[in-house]
Amino acid sequence: MIVTQAGSRRVLAWDAVGLVVRLGLAAVWLLSGFEKASDPRETIVAVRSYELLPESLVGTMAATLPYLEISLGVLLVLGFATRLAAALSAVLLLVFIGGVISAAVRGLSIDCGCFGGGGTVAPGATTYTLEILRDIGFLTLAGYLIWRPDTPLSVDRFVRRRSDAAASTTEEETVE
Amino acid sequence: MAQGSSGRKPTGPQNKGSTGGNSSKSAASKPPKGKQQSISRKSVAQARTSNTNNRTQLIIGAVAIVVIAAIIIIGIVMNQKATAVQNAGYGASTKSVATETGGVVTVSNPTAAGTSPKVIDLYEDALCPVCAEFEAQFGQQINQAVDEGKLTVNVHMLTFLDPRSFSQTYSTRAAAAMLCVAQKDGSQSGVYLGFHSALFASGTQPTEGGTSDLSDQQLADLATSKGASDAAAQCITSGQNIAAATAADKSSTATLSTATGGRVGTPTVVQNGKPVDIQPPDWLTTLLAQQ
Repeated sequence: MIVTQAGSRRVLAWDAVGLVVRLGLAAVWLLSGFEKASDPRETIVAVRSYELLPESLVGTMAATLPYLEISLGVLLVLGFATRLAAALSAVLLLVFIGGVISAAVRGLSIDCGCFGGGGTVAPGATTYTLEILRDIGFLTLAGYLIWRPDTPLSVDRFVRRRSDAAASTTEEETVE
Repeated sequence: MAQGSSGRKPTGPQNKGSTGGNSSKSAASKPPKGKQQSISRKSVAQARTSNTNNRTQLIIGAVAIVVIAAIIIIGIVMNQKATAVQNAGYGASTKSVATETGGVVTVSNPTAAGTSPKVIDLYEDALCPVCAEFEAQFGQQINQAVDEGKLTVNVHMLTFLDPRSFSQTYSTRAAAAMLCVAQKDGSQSGVYLGFHSALFASGTQPTEGGTSDLSDQQLADLATSKGASDAAAQCITSGQNIAAATAADKSSTATLSTATGGRVGTPTVVQNGKPVDIQPPDWLTTLLAQQ
């Protein structure tokens, strides 16, 4: 935003997009994480319904997953290690997409439990395609942030500006 | 792999520190001749910035990993508290008796001395997996509270999950079986609650959308193994209470719906006409401590 050249408008536009994407993905993780964390019994049932994990690991996964999501949400809200958080988000989303596809392929009738809830549903009441498309949408957000992790109102940018200012005078050059 | 430094590729820019990021900027210490010469001063400064940035990025990344780990560890601890089995080790109820009225089974210990018991209405479906989690977590605490005369439980078995059972009728048949045990053996201490717990036990409860569930004969055998009489087994295998279970589902669904403002889900605990929040692991302890 300090840039005063002709490209400033474009920079502002990129900034706006980046901010919306980052906070959007953060909201997704915080919402889904808190929903899962608020009903641990339901989350256990949801994890178990995928029939992918041995019973001994179901509880661990159900306990870990909500808080992994929340931690990614927290990092993204702060704009702290944005690229790392986005990369981990992408990995997690790929795992989710894989899980839903595998449930569909195996003919399970389950709700993905993506935002809490979960467990089985009546045959014909599954929404796998929608769930996968939604996850691909979130994956796009994560991909964008891997590509352009520098967003306004972020710890990352604050820290980089400071270290740039301390190290040299070529601040403008490093603004992408 | 064991040949010393053979892992390094002979070609390509020789990045010091191998931090991966911004390779085009960080190779300034030894520019491979050409156009770089014209911008030497600037690029050196830029490289310094870039190295600082790389180090900063590493630190930020490491801190981020620590933050993630910390949140997950805190979460697991919280989760363990939230899902901890209450009164683990108490085991089955030994002093409770059951009476059936209009398809609702009341479990209590009227012979216990002391304070008048708190009364809750418990709504479950025999196929409901969260009910099984509920039973696993709170079953023993409920058994103990009932045995000690501190709690009376009105058990309402709903049947809305019938269509998701293999036989399409499991919830109703299991509810009917429970009515049989209550009617025939309700006065036998602990038998009804024992059968109730057994139905939700891991390995016994059929899965939703599964490829099998319990037949009437299997339900009768399970009841017998928990101390039910031949009369109860006979009642189960003959399907004597199917209609009663269906009627009870209707009336109990109505009362539950009234209490919750239209939301019918299981497990639900209702006290004094209002749903109880059963997410806190100490909900029953709190309820029992009420004046």
